[in-house]
Amino acid sequence: MVVRVSTGRALLAATLGVGLVVTAQAASYPDIGPLPQLKIDKAKAALGKRLFFDKRLSGDAGIACSDCHVPEKAYASKEALSPGYPGNGHFRNASSLVNTAHKNIWNWDGRIGTNLNDMTREMITEDYIMNMDMRIMQERMKQDPLYVKMFKEAGYGEPSNGSVRKAIPEYLKTLTSTGAPFDKGTMSASAKRGMKLFKGKAGCIQCHNGPLLTDQKPHNTGVPENFDVFLDPMNHQAFMAFAMFQGIPNYRNMKRDPGYFNITLEKKDMGKFITPSLRELKYSAPYMHNGMIKTLPDVVEFYNNGGGKDSNKSKKLKPLGLSANEKKDLVAFLESLSGDPLTGPEYVWDQPYPAEYPVIENWTQVRN
Amino acid sequence: MSIKKIAPTLVAAAVATVVLTACQAQETKSGSAASGKAMAARTAQSGPPPLAPLGPPPIPPDNKQTPAKIELGKILFFDPRIGGDASTGCSTCHEPDQGWAWAEDFSRGYPGTVHWRNSQTIINSAYYGRLFWAGSVPSLEKQAPSAAKGGVAGNGENDIMESRLALIPGYRKRFKEVFGTEWPLIGDAWRAIAAFERTLVQRDTPLDKYLLGDKSALSEEQVRGMALFNGKAGCIQCHNGELASDQDYHNIGVPPNKRWEEDGLAQVTFRFELYAKGMTEEGYRTTKADPGFYFRGKNKWDKGKFRTPSLRYTAYTAPYMHNGVFYTMEEVVDFYNRGGFDEEGRTTAYPENKSKLIKPLGLTDEEKEDLVAFLEAFSGEEILMEKPPMPDYAPLFTKAELEAAQEAK
Repeated sequence: MVVRVSTGRALLAATLGVGLVVTAQAASYPDIGPLPQLKIDKAKAALGKRLFFDKRLSGDAGIACSDCHVPEKAYASKEALSPGYPGNGHFRNASSLVNTAHKNIWNWDGRIGTNLNDMTREMITEDYIMNMDMRIMQERMKQDPLYVKMFKEAGYGEPSNGSVRKAIPEYLKTLTSTGAPFDKGTMSASAKRGMKLFKGKAGCIQCHNGPLLTDQKPHNTGVPENFDVFLDPMNHQAFMAFAMFQGIPNYRNMKRDPGYFNITLEKKDMGKFITPSLRELKYSAPYMHNGMIKTLPDVVEFYNNGGGKDSNKSKKLKPLGLSANEKKDLVAFLESLSGDPLTGPEYVWDQPYPAEYPVIENWTQVRN
Repeated sequence: MSIKKIAPTLVAAAVATVVLTACQAQETKSGSAASGKAMAARTAQSGPPPLAPLGPPPIPPDNKQTPAKIELGKILFFDPRIGGDASTGCSTCHEPDQGWAWAEDFSRGYPGTVHWRNSQTIINSAYYGRLFWAGSVPSLEKQAPSAAKGGVAGNGENDIMESRLALIPGYRKRFKEVFGTEWPLIGDAWRAIAAFERTLVQRDTPLDKYLLGDKSALSEEQVRGMALFNGKAGCIQCHNGELASDQDYHNIGVPPNKRWEEDGLAQVTFRFELYAKGMTEEGYRTTKADPGFYFRGKNKWDKGKFRTPSLRYTAYTAPYMHNGVFYTMEEVVDFYNRGGFDEEGRTTAYPENKSKLIKPLGLTDEEKEDLVAFLEAFSGEEILMEKPPMPDYAPLFTKAELEAAQEAK
């Protein structure tokens, strides 16, 4: 019955030239709404916070997690493309980490589908990201008296790789949206109208649903390639290293980001990327997996045009026929999904790190 | 007196040269690398093989030398992009003007780290059957990746390093020319680097000249030193043959580097090495000195053993020993003269494994001077080399090609 009605509406809409195929029904999709509260272990999260901002977690001690996941940018990258490890660039935009603890799949291509523990390991060890031999990292932590104290206080015993992979996810739990007008019920009239469009005419809800405003599934929306990935050898080498390691066929000649294809190696998944959350967009521009869209009005325009050009593009995308006011309302709604900036000392480690590793006194006598 | 002692050595040299030649021929056939132990066994009856002029380096049949390969290897050797963050290539720790090594006790290591052993010279590395202080790899082709990837050395990974090569047109051209591949393969990079390293040999030292018949090549002092080397000082027991190394593993009593007690960064690396090389939990907790050759077979009697280094080119490679604790040859000679103790009386942390060959020598000051003078004869002219120009990165595709691909999506 529901299906039949939808189809009927779609046909009607098509006849009228409105262009929206499926008028999404809120009931068909997990409803958008506030995020659940997460229980946080304060000592573990405090440790994770110090680790997150510590450059010594990368191979040459040149970059920290926070160098690509910038607090002021809702813990996403500043530029279209993430800077990557010194000596190379990157080929994607670092996703916002706000609410990352609420997700069940990570990376634009969805290559981590387990937990943030694995994701932490992936980011720290991957050569074009932090290039860290975690055995060296562990010994660095053990050489820092404050870490020794903090690991102990967190109940982890002595510093270890495994505990780093637990403490950082614990910290990431603290990066949960707070104070968004959408959550507080203080949306403007325009934003409220935008929400209606979001759930209805604009069809955004088809993929952007649930409290995170993402179905966490891969879709091809036809986002144009960022040519800087391939024209800048620094970025291209990171892409190539990634594609080689992932076993993507003919990776050296590839001129596009394969996205979810990386996981299945099936053509039907070419150019699909995991739907991002729409929370905190106010801070996290530019948008899309490769930062190709600079502003929210541009994003809305992109979808109003039915997405980009790709033979594998999702059938869900069709021109929307939104009026100028409707587009404004939709942007207002998207903005209402952003909360307070998570940039205070509660979230950001603002103490200096020691410039040198202090010596362990009486070294020959104490146990390593 | 000294002449009498030298005479039998020269006879032995002639005999040993034959033995060595036969030995090498057989090994070439079987395809295995030279084994110091095998050589030692063959010559056990006649004592250690005498010092001999250095012949041409062995060339593995599966990695022949060609000028184009050597030139490619040279460029790669100096290219810091063959490493993790594109700052640390082979030459970073093996600087031509630092004896093709690093003039500090520990090698400088990857940024953010320090190494835990002394960087060895590349000069004459072609002759070793196994590389690294504990002999952990069997060839230069295996040494290069091990160094380029090690966390406190190059910290590179195959995928990023190979990708960099693909984005450097100069390398694409050269690799295709040398190896016939459409794209550079990282494994071929190691082969080219090894081929280049096999050109870094020195065979015209005063000692070589002397042994080849030019009696004026050594001073009288050096000739006296040689007699001590072969006799009273006993150096020849391990520093023998062409390379002045038996390529075997010995604990000679080198004390741990004090830097491990005084330098936090060095302590980080020390524990990392124990962790990475696979100690037991208790071993990791309690070890305070480099166990060396122990890591190869995990036999406790091998703790503190390191492969005898060649004495060739040592005029340029200070500091000395696996952990660089001695900065001059005078210190080294004093160390042996005391029977393997430094001036503070420190010795190996594994005295139970200390070689029986190491005993107080009772050398006089004059004898020590003679010995040091003779050690200088193992080095010829300094081998310097200018860094070749590095080929640049260039985009693989044009914008037009990318636009066409976008259109075709």
